[in-house]
Amino acid sequence: MKFRDRAILVTGASRGIGAAIAKAFAAEGGLVVVNYRTNAEAAEAVATECRALGGEALPIAADVTSAEAVAAMAEQIGQEIGRLDVVVNNAFAPYRFDPDNRARFWEIPWESYSQQFEGAVKAAYTVSRAMLPLLQRRSGASIVNVASDLVTRPSIPYHDYTTAKAALVGFSRNLAAELGPLGIRVNCVAPGLVYPTDASAATKEEVREMLIAQTPLRRLATPADVAGPVLFLASDWAGFVTGQTLHVDGGLVMA
Amino acid sequence: MIEHAGHLPGLDAQALRWRHTSHAAWGESVTLALPELDEAQATALCESVRNNARARLKRMETARIVDAIDAANARLLDRKHPLRRKAEHLLPIVTGYDRETVRLGLTSYLKTFRRPQLLRFLAEDFANPAVLDGFQPTAKGGFLRAHGPELLLHVWAGNVPALSLWSLVCGLLVKAGSIGKLASAEPLTAGWFANLIAEIDPEIGQCLAIVWWKGGEEAGEAPFLKAADTVMAYGSNTTLTALRAKLPITTRFLPHGHKIGFGMVGHEALDSRKATALARLAAHDVARYEQQGCYSPQMLFVERGGRVSPAEFARYVAQELTAIAHRHPRRELAAAESAAIAGWRSTQATRAMGGAAELIGEPSDPWSVVHVETPEDLSPTGLNRTLKLVAVESLDEVPALVAPYRNFLQTAGIAASPKRLFQLGEELAEIGVTRIAPLGRMTAPEAGWHHDGRFSLLDLVTVTEIEQSTEAASEGFAPYVD
Repeated sequence: MKFRDRAILVTGASRGIGAAIAKAFAAEGGLVVVNYRTNAEAAEAVATECRALGGEALPIAADVTSAEAVAAMAEQIGQEIGRLDVVVNNAFAPYRFDPDNRARFWEIPWESYSQQFEGAVKAAYTVSRAMLPLLQRRSGASIVNVASDLVTRPSIPYHDYTTAKAALVGFSRNLAAELGPLGIRVNCVAPGLVYPTDASAATKEEVREMLIAQTPLRRLATPADVAGPVLFLASDWAGFVTGQTLHVDGGLVMA
Repeated sequence: MIEHAGHLPGLDAQALRWRHTSHAAWGESVTLALPELDEAQATALCESVRNNARARLKRMETARIVDAIDAANARLLDRKHPLRRKAEHLLPIVTGYDRETVRLGLTSYLKTFRRPQLLRFLAEDFANPAVLDGFQPTAKGGFLRAHGPELLLHVWAGNVPALSLWSLVCGLLVKAGSIGKLASAEPLTAGWFANLIAEIDPEIGQCLAIVWWKGGEEAGEAPFLKAADTVMAYGSNTTLTALRAKLPITTRFLPHGHKIGFGMVGHEALDSRKATALARLAAHDVARYEQQGCYSPQMLFVERGGRVSPAEFARYVAQELTAIAHRHPRRELAAAESAAIAGWRSTQATRAMGGAAELIGEPSDPWSVVHVETPEDLSPTGLNRTLKLVAVESLDEVPALVAPYRNFLQTAGIAASPKRLFQLGEELAEIGVTRIAPLGRMTAPEAGWHHDGRFSLLDLVTVTEIEQSTEAASEGFAPYVD
């Protein structure tokens, strides 16, 4: 029970990778704040699963790009839990990974980039800043940001999405340098294509086969595959690891 | 293996009673044998040290004594020397300090007793150190000669490795026959050092003894207290009061009681770049020797108005203490020490509940940091890496906060601009602070420092003056008088 008595905030935890991460922390005894934006029913279902796995769960609705909403969430965590050990910035702006119908560079308006920056960097910025006082209360706190292996290897050029994730990696490294002297670690997990999720539902079989063929471990990532490395980076097993990006893509990217 | 402590010239080791004590730390253990002298043996030892000092040490040039101390130190500084290896092996087990702390501490401390430092040390206290070797002309006219006591007794305390060498060296430099009483918590280094001196210059070795008795035990200490001309003693005020009561009125008593160190951090030192480096230095001062030294900081006064707030600085210090604990683990604490920390923490936790304080770290962390936003007086912490940071509007408030503890003041660590350093220095000197050091050097006084503001060598000597008119008058009795 690696996370017994530990409180973990997972943003965007009502579905997909976020839900898998929340459940994995719960299975290790953690008290998981299941953050979601709109789907209260799904978040409640994740919370129920978390409790069944032996953890605790507290669903809180908040748009992570809204400073007010996030401040209210921090307030609620402070009141109801009184501590926070881990923040997983998993939520991101809605995106469809559809290789066949993706917009090419000259077709992408700046607004799309801007929206992705909001979803990746502004969300991580807003949540990290708001949660910092809580994280500082305990020793050994850490932040894990979910990036993408596309930053290192743009197998398919999803310009706006990947550029924002690249910015998130840079953001994380700077934050790691700033918060290290305060005892807080900051790392990234960079999954490859994770299937199945709502976002990757439109990725065609042929593309998936192409990626699988180039992946040494010969399959795509599942949401549960991402959870393990997130837990590792959040645990004291990774107590001397900060500013790193851990690729979780079966060896497609080796860096 | 049994390690015999002490240095007992002229006594037959076989004929002595030895008290065995066991020490264990870092997965190893050692048995020490401490000498317990009966009254006749103690009296004989005092007599022989005094006579030898009178006949030999007093007639030596100071330079020869300096050379012997320098040579003994060179061996202890040589990491391949068997005694140095033994010190690095046994001191962590006996004192509980981790190996790295002992190794680094020994080197940085011993190197302050090399020949150049010893000469500086002499020059620090004597305008003309030659007064220790013979009458020297003085500026006002006449001649001056200084003599150390014939028999100087050191009563050591505490577990900081090799701390005893400080007063032992002072005694030797003024040619005092010296007997040192080992501290039960570090009963090794003084004996080793004395043995080295005896090996290097056997004549000096005859003028020096290192003994032990159980603290406060009448039978053990009486012969020594009776025989000594001067007693230099370390310990709590209770111990020192008891000791003073047992000394003859003619005996000079030089006590060094417990002290509380503190630090002051000015807003100019708290920018984004300097603050973290400074936090590291402050944490170093706290961790080194687990605040057992008189110079260790227990409180830091941190000024508001820098880019880094006092609360943020407290967190930086806490994280540095976490990092230091990996390299220098805190020594295993005795039950009473853990209780002292728990007691201090719970007082702070109660205040934290009321919002008056912020307690950083968990009870399981090998350090405790508390931070308060309202000014408060200097106060002792739970020791063993417990630190309180007090936010102040201006460092000018600090002298008033520490002044009530005048008798316990010694070292102040200051991080502030040169102008403020001297301004604050004036105020601190007025209220009894005797040493001002930078953060990071609080536990490492420089060579020739004035312990508790005293002249370490000058305090030991008595001077004999030949007044100018005496010399003139004697001219009248000269065989060459016309």
